[in-house]
Amino acid sequence: MKKQMLSAALLVASSTSFAGGHSSCGDVVIGEMNWASGEFLAQLDGFIMTEGYQCNVEYLTAGTMPQITSMTEKGTPDVASELWANAAALAIDAAVEENRLVKLNPAPITGAGEGWMMSAAAAAAHPELKTIDDVIARPDLFPHPEDPTKGGLHNCPSGWGCQLVTDNLFRAFDMEAKGWKLIDTGSGAGLDGSIVKASEREQNWLGYYWAPTTLAGKYNLKLVDYNSGFDQEHWDTCIVKPVEECDNPQRSNWTKSEIVSLAQVDFATRAPQVAEYITKRTFDADLLNKYLTYMDDNQASGEEAAIEFMLNEEAVWSTWVSEDAAKAINKSL
Amino acid sequence: MDWLTEFPELGRRDLRDFRKGIDESFKSFTRTYGEAIESFFDPLLQFLIWLERLLLATPWPLFIIVVAGLGWLASRNIKIVIGSVISLFLIGYLGMWEDTMSTVSIIVVCTMLCIGLGLPIGILMSRSDRAQRIVTPILDVMQTIPSFVYLIPVVMLLGIGKVPGLISVVIYAIPPMIRLTNLGIRLVDKEVLEAADAFGASPWQKLVQVQIPLALPNIFAGVNQTIMMSLAMVVIASMIGVTGLGQPVLKAISNQYLAMGLLNGLAIVALAIIFDRISQSYGERLQKYRGDRGE
Repeated sequence: MKKQMLSAALLVASSTSFAGGHSSCGDVVIGEMNWASGEFLAQLDGFIMTEGYQCNVEYLTAGTMPQITSMTEKGTPDVASELWANAAALAIDAAVEENRLVKLNPAPITGAGEGWMMSAAAAAAHPELKTIDDVIARPDLFPHPEDPTKGGLHNCPSGWGCQLVTDNLFRAFDMEAKGWKLIDTGSGAGLDGSIVKASEREQNWLGYYWAPTTLAGKYNLKLVDYNSGFDQEHWDTCIVKPVEECDNPQRSNWTKSEIVSLAQVDFATRAPQVAEYITKRTFDADLLNKYLTYMDDNQASGEEAAIEFMLNEEAVWSTWVSEDAAKAINKSL
Repeated sequence: MDWLTEFPELGRRDLRDFRKGIDESFKSFTRTYGEAIESFFDPLLQFLIWLERLLLATPWPLFIIVVAGLGWLASRNIKIVIGSVISLFLIGYLGMWEDTMSTVSIIVVCTMLCIGLGLPIGILMSRSDRAQRIVTPILDVMQTIPSFVYLIPVVMLLGIGKVPGLISVVIYAIPPMIRLTNLGIRLVDKEVLEAADAFGASPWQKLVQVQIPLALPNIFAGVNQTIMMSLAMVVIASMIGVTGLGQPVLKAISNQYLAMGLLNGLAIVALAIIFDRISQSYGERLQKYRGDRGE
């Protein structure tokens, strides 16, 4: 018991000594997403906050849904650098309305997208596959591993929001009748594995994926054109719902991916300079892809890639931060 | 004094090249031999698909009758039969029938593979100290290495789906079968073996008629552990696309659906208990029968 109290006291002492004396930034918890670009962006934010704004940064690693739940219910993490907001648009909007969360940057990554993609080999060998209808007409090109007479569409892993969308669009395009079956990939690792396997062997692959990502960039996955209209209301009330709650799905384009940098209002008012940095921090997908490929080529962590970025791209990041912060960062580099 | 506090590690660049070298050579290996290895496992895949379709196409009352019949034949215990039937009814009534059939198909094949491979390896280990010295560390690795570590190469070689799932389950579930077979045979009394020798038994007769029957309690403990561990692996296996009860569990985890996770988890437990009670009472009956004849 004594030992516990002692360590608790030490903890308090150490955290105050870190936070005290510095600017108003203080302790920050950054929500780090458990995929490559999320890791990179969180580490980059963390680096800039630590070196440029003297924050005391901690990271909390989790997936999208736990992050959002924790941000809205528990008030931590303070910042989520790359949040795919479609998954919980309603919960986020409600929290924004109640003035608990603020969307500091409505588009930290430009040119991002998600949807059904095909492997580079398939796109190169069959240039005639221009739209979704062309693809659906050729189930024989993408044989299902367990039933080669059918075409196989790699679904999103169970529990991800995109699984519901894929299930509903699969029905909307009437793919079952046209000789298709969904392939359950089980997990992010399973989905990735199936892409790597097919791309390394230059096989045809069709399934859900998103960009910018290491795999989409490295293997040049091609997004399929849905060639359909988009009705926001139908999307929100049917396509994103479980199959039982969407009786009559209509063909539709995939919704525009909304990626945001989200922060607690408390934090944004406490550290306005950091908030301003996040507002300005915008990547285009190509630049981000470059560093995701760097991570993959060098098996580097997000932290290493963030430092690499800071070393090489001063022209980019110096427009994001204040002059004082830039000086402090340059000193540390 | 830096060399005392800093561990002399491989330079960053060398380490990176080392890791990349291994990755690249594995990738080129899969590019060259992947198709061949995949077609080697194709019969297994076809068998798995066939079994799953068979179970799914079987009318549910027939399946329950078959399980009850097997239960009765193996155990002659009405309590086990009734318990199995009730839990199957509950599983079906709560909407988990199809997933359960998928899981049963993979677990049946898995258990058969584990017994079919594990028993001979265990016997080999018990007869040769050198074999034991070689196999034991391999079993240690199989049991402790985190499953995702070997799932990555398996997925790159064979893609996602039933076969890689089956392989990962077998890797995890086979060690107790091997260990306990080995242990059981080694624990057979020296005096009994001497007696068998005195009666002029050949090595084969000694093995089949003396050692294995006397090792049965341990062997059946191995079967029990194998079944339990393969059912526990069902959730991990579904992370690489094996259909069945693991998938709703994963879905429940990532969406925090309490009831869904609990129900499917309990269905896995129910299956484990049905499998186990039937096989255990079969084992007990087997030993009783031997015992009666011996007296």
